[in-house]
Amino acid sequence: MKFKKQVSVLALTAGAAMGLSGQAGAWTLEEAAKPYAGTELEVLFLDRPGYAATIKMLPEFEAATGIKVNQTTVPYENALGEQVRDFVAGGDIDIALIDLVWIGNFAENNWIEPIETFTSNPDLADPDLDIADFFPLTLNAFGGWNGKTYGLPFDNYSGLLFYNSCMLKDAGFDAPPATWQEVMDTYGPALTKDGKHAYALQSKRNETQSADSFARFLWPFGGSFLTADFKSNLNSPESQAGLQFRQDLMKFMPEGIVAYDHSEAVNALAQGDVAFITEWSAFYSTLASPETSTLGDCLAVAPEPTGPAGRKPALGGFSLAVASQADDNEKAAGWLFIQWLTSKANAGTYLELGGVPARQSAYADPALAETYKFIPALVESWQDGVPEFRPRFAEWPAVTEIVQEWGTKMMLGEVSVEEGARTIGERMEGVLAQAGYYDGKKPLAQ
Amino acid sequence: MTMRVPRRTLFVFIGPAVFALLLVGVVPLGFAVWKSFHYFNLTKLAESRFVGLDNYAFVLTDPVFWQAMGRTATLFAVAVPVQLFLGLTIALVLHRPGLGLFKVLTRLSLVLPMATTYAVVGLLAQVMLNQKYGVINQMLGWAGVEAINFIGDPTNAFIGVIIWDIWQWTPFVALILLAGLSTVPPEIEEAAQLETKSNWIVLRHVQLPYLIPSLVAVLILRTADTLKLFDMPFTMTRGGPGSATEFIAILIERVGNRQFDIGMASAQAIIMLAITIALARLYIHFFYREV
Repeated sequence: MKFKKQVSVLALTAGAAMGLSGQAGAWTLEEAAKPYAGTELEVLFLDRPGYAATIKMLPEFEAATGIKVNQTTVPYENALGEQVRDFVAGGDIDIALIDLVWIGNFAENNWIEPIETFTSNPDLADPDLDIADFFPLTLNAFGGWNGKTYGLPFDNYSGLLFYNSCMLKDAGFDAPPATWQEVMDTYGPALTKDGKHAYALQSKRNETQSADSFARFLWPFGGSFLTADFKSNLNSPESQAGLQFRQDLMKFMPEGIVAYDHSEAVNALAQGDVAFITEWSAFYSTLASPETSTLGDCLAVAPEPTGPAGRKPALGGFSLAVASQADDNEKAAGWLFIQWLTSKANAGTYLELGGVPARQSAYADPALAETYKFIPALVESWQDGVPEFRPRFAEWPAVTEIVQEWGTKMMLGEVSVEEGARTIGERMEGVLAQAGYYDGKKPLAQ
Repeated sequence: MTMRVPRRTLFVFIGPAVFALLLVGVVPLGFAVWKSFHYFNLTKLAESRFVGLDNYAFVLTDPVFWQAMGRTATLFAVAVPVQLFLGLTIALVLHRPGLGLFKVLTRLSLVLPMATTYAVVGLLAQVMLNQKYGVINQMLGWAGVEAINFIGDPTNAFIGVIIWDIWQWTPFVALILLAGLSTVPPEIEEAAQLETKSNWIVLRHVQLPYLIPSLVAVLILRTADTLKLFDMPFTMTRGGPGSATEFIAILIERVGNRQFDIGMASAQAIIMLAITIALARLYIHFFYREV
């Protein structure tokens, strides 16, 4: 409710800006950027398709504005630390790259500017910004924190079911599994044979274990990390059912699944070793390319299977926000860049170059699904997601380390599901207690 | 006759080195000690405060810290004796007269593992030990051995790290011991060889006393290196699966760089430093004095 109100306010603000600029003449990026020509922006990028697409688009922005965007590509594992140290030291970064689980951390430390700073400025606000065109789930989860919007969704993912339709057909299946129970009862046994496996669940001990493996089996089964009063909910019957389900499902996965990261899981499907995987939408281009995949026409995409509590697919993604440490010119130039990159007008180009935009209008043309098979599943997934799929508060970096360690131990059978969940819960509550959630020092926002 | 060197000359020659050492070594160490007495989290700077010995009390009673320390000690206890044995064997072979070209090539090849960046060694291990596509399992397959899950199994991953550590550091031990063997006076060695045909007796009574300083140096350096071991297991297993290869340096990096708790990580690092110094003193006390 709060979020809807927030979107409405932003839409009105943008509308007002449009009206003002309408009186003064048509708003153009070139005119808006004139005072900032020659400004250089520093931003961190990842080595992923959406960033490669952006790099190809940069020359057009730089030519139109005279603003130079200097991007440094870092591994995902380093991106948070690099930015935290830069912000603490008052460094050079002008645009923050924010994974959805970092938003609380960045916002609470005042390292990023709310977009209202810029949308309320008619010189900077594009009348066509149309905030309401972003999928509400992505805008809220990737860029919003505690009632304010800080970032615009840029590199957007949903968990999807990628499958080898030829393997399924050979095993007598005309359609992918619609529920996790079907995976367990029907698809798993039928597809695990002759050295092949039905399913690979990337579970390596890093954010992959927390986001892709552990959380994926909490939500569809009705579980969650926390109760409403921020106590551990991991030993609730629903959470336990989901985590035990993951444990039981391992018999249909390749040996050593706890060492599988994204590349291993994607490769297992691409080489025909497993029949399906649940992976981020961003991996579509890797699986579709004949250079990196043998699947060809056998590649098919569907929404993730549902559990007793519904679909609730994995949700991940990055927004871009203006860094508070930037000077005024850099802030304005940074906003113009973010606004341009995530605009409705550029969504098609971004998609064509391998990115996944969060603009609803970008997916309006039904013909697009012919070229990009993942689109229908993606759009459906973004209707039913959970923003707090992983809690987005500042304590997540500490909590995820606990989940990674004990989630892996569970999968290895070193501890029981119940014992592992209890340990994670106790340690997680210790972190939250120290942060002040239980004595009213901090609002219960996640 | 001894010539007195003016104090100014001494300062000019030694001063820059001492200053550089203070700047890059002592000052950061002092800062780490100071921060170890604070709650100091980069993402919660507003909550920074002096906490006295709380961080140390937490670390010393934290089972996770001692488990990581236990794994590090196990790695040391298994890998270093093997490195010493293999290194000494290689050094003794290279110390024998003859085999000119073979010795030159061997010495050159010994440098390669040491010259390879630690992180690259870990990445190589990750690729080579891959269960499905790794070259090692490929070769085992040719011999009819079923593919081994090296990285995904806790025990195998630990053994994998040990083997990789032995591969990388045995040449270092060999070269140090070879240098030690070169300090044995040739006439004493030749006289001993005339007295006995037993290589063991020559080693035990003639060569080993000269090797003691090298062995102590190797022990001190390998102890410090093992306690600091980070890059290779981090890129190879990232401390996993579970905590199977979470050595003490990986734990400290996790606390400092991923949880941003610099105060706690500093306390862990200072305790590790104290253990390293204590072990080094013990080696010198028990081994070096007996030469």
